[in-house]
Amino acid sequence: MAKYTKTEEALIWLCACSGLDPRERVVLLRAAPSPEALFARFETYCESNLGKECAPPAARRQALEKLLTEAEEKGYFAVTAESADYPKELKAADPPLVLFGAGRRELLGARKFCIVGSRITPPWAQKFGAEISARVSKRFAVVTGLAEGGDLAAVRGALPGDLICVLPCGLDECYPAAHAAVKEEIRSTGLLLSEYPFAEKTRRYSFFARNRILAGLSEGVLVLSAGEKSGALITADLALEYGRDVFAVPYQPNVAQGAGCNELLKKGAYVCTCAQDIFDCYGIVLKEQTVSLLPEEEALYRILHAEGELHAAVIAERAGLPVHEAAAILASLELKGMITKAGGNRYSCVK
Amino acid sequence: MIAKIICFTLVGLDGVPVEVETDVNKGVPAYDMVGLPDAAVKESKERVRSAIKNSGLLFPMNKITINFAPADLKKEGAAFDLAVAVSLLKGSEQLIGADVSDTVFLGELALNGDLRPINGLLPILISAKGHGFTKFVIPAANAPEARFLGGAEIYPAESLLAVVKHLVGAETISPLETARFAVSGRKESSADLKYVKGQPVARRAIEIAVAGGHNLLMVGPPGTGKTMLARCLPTIMPDLSFEEALEITKIHSVAGILGEEGIVTERPFRTPHHTATTVSMCGGGNRVVHPGEISLAHGGVLFLDELPEYKRSTLEALRQPLEDGKISVSRAGGTVTYPSRFMLCASMNPCPCGNYGSADLVCTCTPAEIRRYRRKISGPLLDRIDLQVEVDNLSYDELTSTEGRESSAAVKERVNIARKIQRNRFAEYRLNTNAEMGEREIDAFCALGRESEEILRSAFERMKLSARARARIIKVSRTIADLDGCENIEPKHVFEAVSYRLEEKI
Repeated sequence: MAKYTKTEEALIWLCACSGLDPRERVVLLRAAPSPEALFARFETYCESNLGKECAPPAARRQALEKLLTEAEEKGYFAVTAESADYPKELKAADPPLVLFGAGRRELLGARKFCIVGSRITPPWAQKFGAEISARVSKRFAVVTGLAEGGDLAAVRGALPGDLICVLPCGLDECYPAAHAAVKEEIRSTGLLLSEYPFAEKTRRYSFFARNRILAGLSEGVLVLSAGEKSGALITADLALEYGRDVFAVPYQPNVAQGAGCNELLKKGAYVCTCAQDIFDCYGIVLKEQTVSLLPEEEALYRILHAEGELHAAVIAERAGLPVHEAAAILASLELKGMITKAGGNRYSCVK
Repeated sequence: MIAKIICFTLVGLDGVPVEVETDVNKGVPAYDMVGLPDAAVKESKERVRSAIKNSGLLFPMNKITINFAPADLKKEGAAFDLAVAVSLLKGSEQLIGADVSDTVFLGELALNGDLRPINGLLPILISAKGHGFTKFVIPAANAPEARFLGGAEIYPAESLLAVVKHLVGAETISPLETARFAVSGRKESSADLKYVKGQPVARRAIEIAVAGGHNLLMVGPPGTGKTMLARCLPTIMPDLSFEEALEITKIHSVAGILGEEGIVTERPFRTPHHTATTVSMCGGGNRVVHPGEISLAHGGVLFLDELPEYKRSTLEALRQPLEDGKISVSRAGGTVTYPSRFMLCASMNPCPCGNYGSADLVCTCTPAEIRRYRRKISGPLLDRIDLQVEVDNLSYDELTSTEGRESSAAVKERVNIARKIQRNRFAEYRLNTNAEMGEREIDAFCALGRESEEILRSAFERMKLSARARARIIKVSRTIADLDGCENIEPKHVFEAVSYRLEEKI
């Protein structure tokens, strides 16, 4: 069984087994001289500070043993505020006393960069996000959630690589449930983190709480997409509060899915149009891989690149090709990762 | 005296001979029917009695027994009326000298003695001819469909009295002249590709779909012309051959939906509403098994508008007929097999709000909502749809080209050429189109060059395609190459085939 110090054990029990809310935990920790002392004489502190009844010492020990055995069986580990590898950056962010994790623990010590986006993210931004995430993951561990849209794009791009995914629920749960397979993949090649007991379900407030960890862990945050009101904006605001860099992808003025991003840019966020924009901020140079294009591909790519997004028929017409020939070349460009389908026979540039 | 008359009943599309035996004998006056007649056949008693009396003939006041043989086969419908009446008249010795032994009598009687048309006449005639019968008396109103049966004497009669006069030689009816089947050419209708505005991508997709016999799914916002495009499908399909027309006519005749021409000259286009039940789609009924929409669409197009709105079970029932080209429906009365080789064309919105992929309107659906909507269509069904194309709301003005819009006739020519290439290729394989290829034929006829193989592999990885999707792409590439007149599948054909599929992961 993994060894935890007495202090760590006390914190783990307090967070996962005591049934107290975070505010109450803080009250007790302040009242007691040390977490071990709190654990040993919990009933005293609990009654005098909170006026609550609590379980007897034997039951507490039993609950802790049960939890640790369960964690052992499931391959989970716990990182407490007292652990050596507890991410220091997180201290700025109303730090969770304990983080439960599954996967590659060493990623906690890596440089971390957060990529988030709202659930409704246009197809091109998803592809773009995946590309950026893939490149960023070569230098940073990409930190993100497991939500639809922008988060998932970041996950897809970074897999199989350095990826930290913070869940808004316990490690046993998966939200949204449809991403269970992705979650397993992350567990095997990256790291899953959660501050909740294993079986905890998602609650309304847990998204906000999760976002503070996302921002707190990372050196910077890139917002791929955000409407006027989006969870991704909360992450960005928190990042600013903690003194981290905020990047945003620029959108057309009238696109609702990007209104939040443009708002961030107005407030002074860094513009991000390629992964190098992020690396520049941290003095990193990563060699660009160049994709070789055939002359006809080059021609179509230029036409599309000039407008950003175009209908297949319009591209064909401008290139002076029959639509079905253009379709073949566009498919080839798509396979090379230069462009993507945007729905309704429209294509948009990714690079 | 005992009289025997031959009539036919239908089991599915096959006519089965039924002997109507009538014994008119001394005894207490009675009028009985035996030999598993159903309600409609039993009621013919009263129709026949009235018809005989109202035709000025004598209804015998003796003991009458009518037997339908074989006795174990259920007899249905009103098509026996004429046979019963004639056998009664023969049995009561009112048709002296008339030879009725090798004539098949078909028709329903009205109370005044007029003959009414029956459903399913053509399949009966064809089967009867197969059984060696060549003389028929049929209702005059059925004459249009009977015209196409060559090598038989067919007498169309207006009434029972006319039949009697014909039989005793008082006033003979002239036999029908055999009509020659000629494709009338499509009647000028509103469905023609020249009226379809814009939609260059979808136009190309339906051309490929028809050329290779591929099933087609059109995805697009409401009001972008999906239905219009679907209606154009029959206009670019190859003309019907006589055999095909006859087979389709048989089914339509059984269903009683044959038009005035008496033969189907245009490929059917069936659009069952999404509230359709599985039985109405596949065929069924209590004892008589009626052909369902998929059989009525045989040789033509089955168009399912708003695919996700159909009941899941109804859609799943389409899978087997799509594979086999026929459907066997089992009921208490027996098992019936109807042909159902149709082209499936379906349409759906891209997402619940319908605006996904629109240039001007913003889609408000979350990815989960879109996935849930698309998941209403099962993978196995989608696997049988080779081509998936987006129909967009690009306004025609966005294209400045003055290039004229092609008419259906021009597209049809190219389709015919591609079909001919396929016929030659599959001459020994009992296949007609590329869509019907299995793994074995794909290996034999769709050899990919190294470069094409490479493209497929990268498409596989990048788009996370399933193994079935790979076969679909190869088959569609084959058709595109055929349209192009190429012996080998080239990279550009594979690329184009790759472009006709929807994003599987949103």
